[in-house]
Amino acid sequence: MCHILGSWASSASAQVPTDASPGCHHLTNISKSGHSLLPCPCSQHTLAELRDALDSCAERQRQLERSLRVSRRLLRAWYADPGTTRLGLPRAVRTPLSDPGPACIPSPQDLKELELLTQALEKAVRVRKGISKAGEGNKAPSLKSGSIVTSPATRASAPPRTSHRAGSRASETKPPRGIRQTRVPTKDLPECRLLSVGDQACMGQGAGDTKPKSGLRNEQIVLSAASQAPEAFTLKDKGILLQLPEAFRKAASRNSRLRRNNSRKGQSYSRTQGLSMTRMQSGWPGPRLSATEVEAEVRHLQKACLLLRLRMGEELMADPQDWMQEYRCLLTLEELQAIVGQCLHRLRELCTGEACPARGRFPRASLPCGGGADPIWSPQLLLYSSTQELQTLAALRLRVAMLHQQIHLEKVLMAELLPLVSKQEPLGPPWLALCRAVHSLLCEGGQRFLTILREDKPAD
Amino acid sequence: MGRRRRRRRVDPADAARALPEAIAALSQTLPAGPSPETFRRAKFDRPEAAPALWRLLFRVLSPQLADGASASFSPEAQVRSVKLALRTQGYPRRALAQLPDDGSQGGRELLLALAWLLARGPLPERLLTQNRVQLGDEMPVCECEALASPGPPAPSVEADGCVDIRHLQWLMGKLRFRWRNLMASQQEQCALLGKIHSYTRGCHSDRSLGHLSVTETELLRDPEGGRQLLQRLERENARLQAALEWRRRELVFWRWMDTVLGACPPEASQPTFLPRIPTPGTGALEPLVRELQALQGELREAVEARRAAWEAGVGGRGPEWSAARTALREAVGQDLAALRQACEQGGSCSLAQPHGPHRLVRTEAGVAGGPGLRAPEVIEALRSQEARLEVVLRQLQGQCRQELARLVGAPPGPVWILPPGR
Repeated sequence: MCHILGSWASSASAQVPTDASPGCHHLTNISKSGHSLLPCPCSQHTLAELRDALDSCAERQRQLERSLRVSRRLLRAWYADPGTTRLGLPRAVRTPLSDPGPACIPSPQDLKELELLTQALEKAVRVRKGISKAGEGNKAPSLKSGSIVTSPATRASAPPRTSHRAGSRASETKPPRGIRQTRVPTKDLPECRLLSVGDQACMGQGAGDTKPKSGLRNEQIVLSAASQAPEAFTLKDKGILLQLPEAFRKAASRNSRLRRNNSRKGQSYSRTQGLSMTRMQSGWPGPRLSATEVEAEVRHLQKACLLLRLRMGEELMADPQDWMQEYRCLLTLEELQAIVGQCLHRLRELCTGEACPARGRFPRASLPCGGGADPIWSPQLLLYSSTQELQTLAALRLRVAMLHQQIHLEKVLMAELLPLVSKQEPLGPPWLALCRAVHSLLCEGGQRFLTILREDKPAD
Repeated sequence: MGRRRRRRRVDPADAARALPEAIAALSQTLPAGPSPETFRRAKFDRPEAAPALWRLLFRVLSPQLADGASASFSPEAQVRSVKLALRTQGYPRRALAQLPDDGSQGGRELLLALAWLLARGPLPERLLTQNRVQLGDEMPVCECEALASPGPPAPSVEADGCVDIRHLQWLMGKLRFRWRNLMASQQEQCALLGKIHSYTRGCHSDRSLGHLSVTETELLRDPEGGRQLLQRLERENARLQAALEWRRRELVFWRWMDTVLGACPPEASQPTFLPRIPTPGTGALEPLVRELQALQGELREAVEARRAAWEAGVGGRGPEWSAARTALREAVGQDLAALRQACEQGGSCSLAQPHGPHRLVRTEAGVAGGPGLRAPEVIEALRSQEARLEVVLRQLQGQCRQELARLVGAPPGPVWILPPGR
């Protein structure tokens, strides 16, 4: 009679349906009978490692999400700024509406500026009316619409032009004495095709005329009036026209110049330190390694162990063709043996706390990698030529990180689970279930399970 | 003669100004730097100088905190954090650890601690690098940062109860799922970056860059954010400038620090130093010791076997043999030189791989391009790394399989049917 444990199922929580047939034990029976328990003290460490792995993954995801939000927003439509340049930005572009959520509410500063602007234009229209005796009602719409500006060239002609258009449309609006008091039902703005989906959701939210919402609608009126010639700015169409502001360019070039100068100066640093170090340290005992340095060295030795093991594997697998290659292989293995010996020696030094910093290097524990010699470098360039290339690169980088993590977890789990299996001796079903679970975790990365067939002596 | 006379005519006022200027430069390049007057008072251990110096050391020793975050730490917490950080880095003077936690005393000791930190490494430059303003879209090409982060803190001794192995399985599954999500998000981000870079080509004033980065485009979209970025950039420029000044004038500072050291009361008998923080438990190092020992054992076996085979073999006799042997020894030495260096040298990242964050720049294919790393090269390096790591993982898994098979025992034990092919 065979007891079949398990299945090919790849889910971690396989639910094997109970079978009525008497001769088979299924996993459910076994799992019901008892948990595969892990002893307490070590398991906390394993759990901590797993949680740490999960957390670091989550942290990367958070950072990515942040960048994704910014990038997505940039690829949507922006809007032209009603007004002149800000911050000295030529062709300033602003998105009052493209952020659903908290940014739906224009800042008080924006509202204030809008109010000032509309008052100024109000005055301009009054003057113009006084001159031309145009029959436009001195209602607000004509003023608001005048604020659409998309390029400096047409700015001068924009107010009189657009005022005609807007006057015919949003005729129910009131003068903007308080911007908050504007009441325009949303259905009066059919041409809001410039708004992205997110904005429409934002608009649809407030049924009541709360203050922020009406300020929002106020701006929508402004924009819809301009929709005659939609000036939505998309990066795709007009990205080439962008230009960085002067102040920023100057600051950025100054920044890179200072960094270059600083990295050159950094070399003279070591000379002055020679003087001061001896004086400062004369009263103090010889340098010992700090805890962070010890940790860093241990990690480094772990990496070294990995490299050595890999190299040994390569040598052992090589098939020497002649005596020269054979001898060379032998020499290599001897050399590797020597290096391993040195690493062990260093490790023992670290264990006993007798270690001194290795030959004249500065503590590197806190220096970013690659920047060891040159801490103030500005980042070098990485040139890519197609999106495909960039994606491959990024995917490989993540894959390497994931493999590092998998190897680390594999070692942790090995140290934890193998002794467990060897301790529990009886070949009963619970132990076999444990074996199966351990096998899947350690040998298949938790993705596949094996089947255990057990021959039972006939009961009778 | 004339030269000597010229030197003597140096204005004493200049000499007097040199020290405060040096200290001012240092103070400006460090975050939360106090005034030169505070430094002077600290030399004489005046109590009013202490709080400012505690704050300075706190900011210097915890650079990862944002500018405003340090305010959320109480003065006592800051003092304790500074003491712990200094101890972790191996600061030897006991007197600092004995200062009261309320941060009211200790100006002189704090000055010495600051000088010790400055003497150990390029501190201002390092701080400026860690928190620099990023203007480009950066991507690290190595995993060193992630690998260098410390593991989980040592778990508390009391345990909550036993853990079911299925919980471990569940956690592993969750981890796999998160990685898959991460990969997908990363692909999307790369696609978006590619678009933004190609849509803005030709816009950048710097020809070698050619197009705008996300940060730069964002500042055009959002002038308010742009203004803040500009302010941060200008603040950083001021600190960079101050760092240059500091390097020019620091000799004066070190001479002054000698006087500060002299002003300290002599330490009792021998320079006492703090008992070292115990190394992260020999327990934590045990697995590594065992690994290395196992490796050593395997190597020893292999070497013995091959040497025996060699001695018993036919090759390698005769006069030309010794010349060949020396040549081979040299060749092997060179072969393994890189490996040896990687294993010996403290902390250096692995052999000849590109490192650090790089700014992404999109170019036309085939264009020779200026300085900078090329993506295909990085991809090559990463692929070989990936292959190596996969080999290691398979080896480990193979070891586990063998071990488990051994434990489960020979027939008439159960028969294991492995899952279908790889």
